[in-house]
Amino acid sequence: MQADLLSLIRLDLIFESISGLIALIVTIYATKAYNLTGQKRLSDLSTGFLVLSIGMFGRVVGTWYFIVQFGLDGDSGNLVISIVTIAYGASRIMAYVLFLIATRPPRYRESINGNNMTGVSLLLATILVDQSLEVVAILVLVGVVIQAIINYSSSRSRYALYVLVGFFFILLSHIQVAQTLINPGMYLMSQFSQLIGFLSFLVLLYRTGKENE
Amino acid sequence: MRILADMMRAIQGEGEEGAGPTKILYAANLSHDRLTQYLDELIEKELIKEANPESDSRVYFLTEKGREFLREFVRIERFSEAFGIEV
Repeated sequence: MQADLLSLIRLDLIFESISGLIALIVTIYATKAYNLTGQKRLSDLSTGFLVLSIGMFGRVVGTWYFIVQFGLDGDSGNLVISIVTIAYGASRIMAYVLFLIATRPPRYRESINGNNMTGVSLLLATILVDQSLEVVAILVLVGVVIQAIINYSSSRSRYALYVLVGFFFILLSHIQVAQTLINPGMYLMSQFSQLIGFLSFLVLLYRTGKENE
Repeated sequence: MRILADMMRAIQGEGEEGAGPTKILYAANLSHDRLTQYLDELIEKELIKEANPESDSRVYFLTEKGREFLREFVRIERFSEAFGIEV
């Protein structure tokens, strides 16, 4: 069981790393666009994706540090995981708020405390995000998705559709991660959904450069 | 930036014949004074060139640098508008 969970973590961290890398690529492109046009919202978009990218890589590094340093035993890992999960959750919310600003038109989780956590629970602790932060993230993302729907409805462009699909899958990933305690398989699904979302942004970058060249 | 891009698109739209000031004026919706000012800016930045500066009839073409710039601008425009951001 623990070996299976360890495999699960490696895969989810790989997905997270790929998503973080794509977020970084979008950051670079949005920054370039801002430098050329001076449109402040592009700067907000760039900062949002940068914060997201840093949060994701931070979580990957933090999780690996926890596993390597503390293994599956002991309380001392609790503080590390608490810091990582809260920082991760906060960074995502910050990023989503920036997306909400840039694109305007205009869980159920057991708390990590107590001294008698099993190794499996500690492992799960590296997966889950603080539930209250998760709820805030979902609420902000709903706003972002609604704005993306409005933008797609008015423009009907395929590029706007890629953005809508991207943010939708990121929202879906948050909803799925909230159900992880009930169904642990949902955790990997959530990481996969997040990856799909970021792949949609990557496709957007690729297609905007390719069309009519 | 959008005005410069509109002017360049107007020039590009005329292909090998190049575009005269009137065509650019209407395409970018500019006054005559602004047109002159922006044309000078585009020439200074080597994004466009005048076919025959000594001639009375003025015709403008995109330079290779101008074509590259316009391609990049169009790409940025598509990217930004995908997020509902106008440039």
